[in-house]
Amino acid sequence: MYSLLVLPRGSAKQLLSPSRRYSAQKSTTSKRNRLTAGLTSTKTAQHTTATASARTLREARDQLRLWREENERRSLEVVDLWDTHLQSNIHKLGDERLLVWEQVCIAALDCNRIDVVDICLVSLANEFPSSMRVRKLQAMKLEALEKYDEALELLDQIIKRDETNAAPRKRRVAILKAKGKIVDAVKELNEYLKKFMSDQEAWQELCELYLLEQDYAKAAFCMEELVLHNPHNHLVHQRYADIKYTQGGLENIEVARAHYCLALKLNQNNMRALYGLLLAATNVSTMTKGLTAPKKKECSKLIAWASQQIRNRYEEAAGHSAEKELEALDSVLGALQISGLSA
Amino acid sequence: MAELLLDPDIRVWVFLPIVVITFLVGIVRHYVSILLATQKRAELQQLQDSQVMIRARLLRENGHYLPRSSFVMRRHFFNNEETGYFKTQKRQAVSQNPMTDPSMMTEMLKGNITTVLPMIVIGGWINWTFSGFVTTKVPFPLTLRFKPMLQRGIELVSLDAAWVSSASWYFLNVFGLRSIYTLVLGENNAADQSQHLQDQMSGAAMAMPPDPKVAFKAEWEALEICEHRWALENVESILLGTQNPALEQPVS
Repeated sequence: MYSLLVLPRGSAKQLLSPSRRYSAQKSTTSKRNRLTAGLTSTKTAQHTTATASARTLREARDQLRLWREENERRSLEVVDLWDTHLQSNIHKLGDERLLVWEQVCIAALDCNRIDVVDICLVSLANEFPSSMRVRKLQAMKLEALEKYDEALELLDQIIKRDETNAAPRKRRVAILKAKGKIVDAVKELNEYLKKFMSDQEAWQELCELYLLEQDYAKAAFCMEELVLHNPHNHLVHQRYADIKYTQGGLENIEVARAHYCLALKLNQNNMRALYGLLLAATNVSTMTKGLTAPKKKECSKLIAWASQQIRNRYEEAAGHSAEKELEALDSVLGALQISGLSA
Repeated sequence: MAELLLDPDIRVWVFLPIVVITFLVGIVRHYVSILLATQKRAELQQLQDSQVMIRARLLRENGHYLPRSSFVMRRHFFNNEETGYFKTQKRQAVSQNPMTDPSMMTEMLKGNITTVLPMIVIGGWINWTFSGFVTTKVPFPLTLRFKPMLQRGIELVSLDAAWVSSASWYFLNVFGLRSIYTLVLGENNAADQSQHLQDQMSGAAMAMPPDPKVAFKAEWEALEICEHRWALENVESILLGTQNPALEQPVS
């Protein structure tokens, strides 16, 4: 468990700005030594410990703030920061401690650190005895403890109090999903989407659920909704194309090909879209029945272009010396095309 | 005309107190309005309507990224004569008279308590206490037309228009302290009276929630005339066209 917790801390440090990185490494390494030295209670050692922890406290706070703003979950790192820096000094943060409690609480739920969750929840409940936001966190804790019925009851109470609150409704879906009742979750999420029609997250989740059920046509519908919301995100187009390609049939694969192309237009380095384009174009060219000559020519052009692009990417990544790997790649591409032809 | 010399006591006991009083009243008003403010609860129906509108608008704006069938399917959902969302959803018209809505009434009362009442009380008190003082002089000459604006409460024909009376100084402060309030209390504070006056002038009609019926009708029309032209029609050739130089590179 310890090594698991330590690893991400290193990666978290890399995110700090370069000027800060050095001091951060220095302070954490020296802090460990000083913390032990501080126990010997020499006056100077205590003083330096205090300054070092103050510095790291500020860094921890800034880090958490950054993750909050960018909506990054990073649960392991958050809980780790809590353990090392924040737990003992939380009152020094002023009003921000409330936000930190919430953030740490969710992170601790992810990591199954119920002890930390309890600390945060008790503190938050003391500050806001009647808050719906805290109630939601309590429901999430019940959920984490797999007391689903109690969690549902609590969520229903919240919804009753404030009908417009979207979060508890989404938690209900999450509970159904956690129980493995995908069909019920789909039903519930559909009800939710009837009311909150432009909730992107919900459409995405519904898409995932339909994919679990292998209902590709409906999943594609949800993905279309996401395309409407962000038409300039290449990942959305690529995903939509993936679903359409999986759905099969000439028309769908042609749509998939177009969306792979758009994804590539938006971001040239999307490898999955390149492979997808190769496969989709190969597939279209094999379905010769309804195909006119110029269309076929365009298809073969696309295939050539895509395989060339893939080759170029590998060359860039491997350097020009890796002849062997490129040969292997060529054989893979050939195999892909053949399998596409036979499909 | 001979130069007037003002008593320094006027500065200490009239000029500065007016500034301080208007400023402090603004701050107090800000906090009182925070105390009185009620969180506006949106209705589920309202929320749903606005989300539907967003979705329909997105369909209109970004619909050309979808295949034709998907676009038409969505438009059918919104616009179909018998089953379309905009046709079947009946919303009762928003009551035209805000007086019938009790919550609206209390809201208006609160607005009046925090804006109009102190304005009358403090303004009257300032007029009564500090009336008749010449407090300061603007450092540039002005024409006679400015006399009623700057010399309220002093009817002296011979006094130069550049002099400012105490009552006018109070009004100048009321309207001029906005930037100071933003500095002290932050943006969107409730201290500023001139803001409230503007609201009362123009906002009476705008403050009412927009009528969903009308909005639905407008959106229905916009969708109806919206033409679908698939944006990805030629994306393959565009992709190849722009990338052609890369294609012609000799295969190594």
